[in-house]
Amino acid sequence: MNAQIFFEFAINVLSMGSLYALIALGLVFVFGICKLINFAYGEFITVGAYVLYFLGVFTSLPWPLVFLIGILSSVAVGYLSELVAFRPFRGRSLDALLVTSFAVSVILQRLFQLGISPRSKAVPVPAFFNMNIELFGLTTPLRNLLIIAITVVLLLILTVIMKYTVLGVAMRGASENFVTARLMGVPANLVISVAFIISGFLAGVVAIFWTARTGSAEPLMGMSPLLIGFIAVVIGGMHSLPGAVVGGYVYALIANILSLTLPTSLLSFRDAVMFAIVIAFLVLKPEGLLRGNYQEERVG
Amino acid sequence: MKKIISLLMVAFLIATMTTVSGCRREEPKPAATEADTILIGGAMSVTGIQAPLDSPAIEGIKVAIAEINANGGINGKMLEFRNMDSKSNSATASEVAKQLVDQGAVAIITSSDYDFGGPAARAAQAAGIVGISPSASSPLFGSTMLGDKQFTLSMWNTTMGAVMAEKAYIKDGLRTAYVITDDFIDYTKSLSRYFVQCFERLGGTVLREDIFSQGKVDTAALIAHYKALPQKPDFIYISSYMPDLGTIIKEFRTAGIDSPIYGGDAYDDPALFELLGPEFGNDIYWDSHSFNSEEAVPGFTKYNAAYKELFGKDVDAPWSMAGYDVVMVLAEAMRAVGTDGDKIAKYMEDHTFDLLTGKLDWSDAASGHEPNKAAAVIKLEKGKPVFIEWAIPEYLPRP
Repeated sequence: MNAQIFFEFAINVLSMGSLYALIALGLVFVFGICKLINFAYGEFITVGAYVLYFLGVFTSLPWPLVFLIGILSSVAVGYLSELVAFRPFRGRSLDALLVTSFAVSVILQRLFQLGISPRSKAVPVPAFFNMNIELFGLTTPLRNLLIIAITVVLLLILTVIMKYTVLGVAMRGASENFVTARLMGVPANLVISVAFIISGFLAGVVAIFWTARTGSAEPLMGMSPLLIGFIAVVIGGMHSLPGAVVGGYVYALIANILSLTLPTSLLSFRDAVMFAIVIAFLVLKPEGLLRGNYQEERVG
Repeated sequence: MKKIISLLMVAFLIATMTTVSGCRREEPKPAATEADTILIGGAMSVTGIQAPLDSPAIEGIKVAIAEINANGGINGKMLEFRNMDSKSNSATASEVAKQLVDQGAVAIITSSDYDFGGPAARAAQAAGIVGISPSASSPLFGSTMLGDKQFTLSMWNTTMGAVMAEKAYIKDGLRTAYVITDDFIDYTKSLSRYFVQCFERLGGTVLREDIFSQGKVDTAALIAHYKALPQKPDFIYISSYMPDLGTIIKEFRTAGIDSPIYGGDAYDDPALFELLGPEFGNDIYWDSHSFNSEEAVPGFTKYNAAYKELFGKDVDAPWSMAGYDVVMVLAEAMRAVGTDGDKIAKYMEDHTFDLLTGKLDWSDAASGHEPNKAAAVIKLEKGKPVFIEWAIPEYLPRP
């Protein structure tokens, strides 16, 4: 493998992996605390994407502001969905929560389809995103480097929050043993709301880079990142935040290796191979690459 | 963990159920034989991935219905169109078509695709009535696979693939191609197949064909494959669907790849033009069913005026004209022979129709209801579609 191909490969894996890590992280934040597999997570991303579309097409706001409002709207949807849809069911069974997350997902999808358009909408992207950068003799769009840098920064910030702030300690405690954490005085509503807010925030960041790549927003766009998030989480480990990040990068690594090495005739089986790997993980190493602490399955 | 896995499985079950169900069959109502309206059923998708193609067709259907009713209906009876959302799901399509038959529909208009629309056509066939798709172009959409009363108004992919192969090789003098195929549905797969068959028959070389799945396109890998080709191809042929189609073209252009790009009617989407914009929307060619101009389509101005009156805007996606044409074909047949399914089908086989989407002539049921139709060749220039010509291929591959 010559150096250029290697660098190209490395940039692809790192940029894809960074995006996937953020997706997986957003899922695991909510799962860690509520034990809820949030099927509406993809729609948090879709909302962000549509806001980028509306602001980008119908206003002339500067890009940083557009991005900020986009992220905030994903945060708002995350927070509101927790408030309206999940909080009333929190004491009930996990299955009830799961069905609720489906309902939120389907309702939002239908709202986009009937309220905006079933057709995809072109989302404008700032020109510097697609600007090609020369690096080690290869060219790559600037956004590939941006996503890597932003992911590193976000991971550092999240690590600091989780490790060194009272809120972070409370969240980690709650994700380990919710009942005990509450007995120690951790307010349940606050912790869960914050988990959804962080999840929404990550979805908003993902929306920016996802639409920068695909160029469009459409009602069902949340499905792909959701599936990627699931796979990454299964590979990395459901119960640990670092696991989700590792899972994202490993997913990107495997996907890139497969697309480079599989012969054309087998290329359409790439997903089958991916799923086979996921099944192998579920059977052989159900806790994922990184094992979290002991988990209760129930939120009181 | 086991609990989680079983929960996940339950969840997926529910997910599939929400798309399949949601349309209980009602008690059969007596067929409205004596009613003073004629019901045409629509089993088309207002939601899901097929919606971008079906919604414009539904608009075209409504324009046609309004026009016919304003002119006194058919043999004294008013036309009524009732669409039930088939949700881009084949099981739902079959179910809603059966419901529409129970409600007395004399014909079913299906989704513009074999995979999503075929099941509705089968239900129509089972009920002994005509099923017709505005722009399903898979050669599977015909009487061979679906039954002797099933039609598509579209040219088949045999024509669609051949026209672009001949344009590339003969008219544009291109010899080498890089082909990207989406294995999403029969439409995307068979279009590439016929294109490659015709292009190679002419003497062209396919340097490489890559296959991906809709929704999971890895553009970085495709670009890497393109760059690793032994020589720069004269052009790229992409058979896919929105939204991934847009992503691929945009990413190739972003990566500085300026080869001409060729494709089929899925390109005919205003969303694609907007996405590419004047910067990337150049040197892209495809063939489709119609075009939004009087020069290409005699009668377009009149159609556009009627459309604007109904929807308050100009025609955007040209697929709407296929919806309009479907109703016009059915109306012409019903005016002549009444509402009996067999007679309508026979009339459609025996006559040539002059439509907004061109002249159309179906072969008989024994040879598949193969549509004999020209393709509109279109190019994208500075993000705007430009009509080139109507084309009929010199050689047509067998389906």
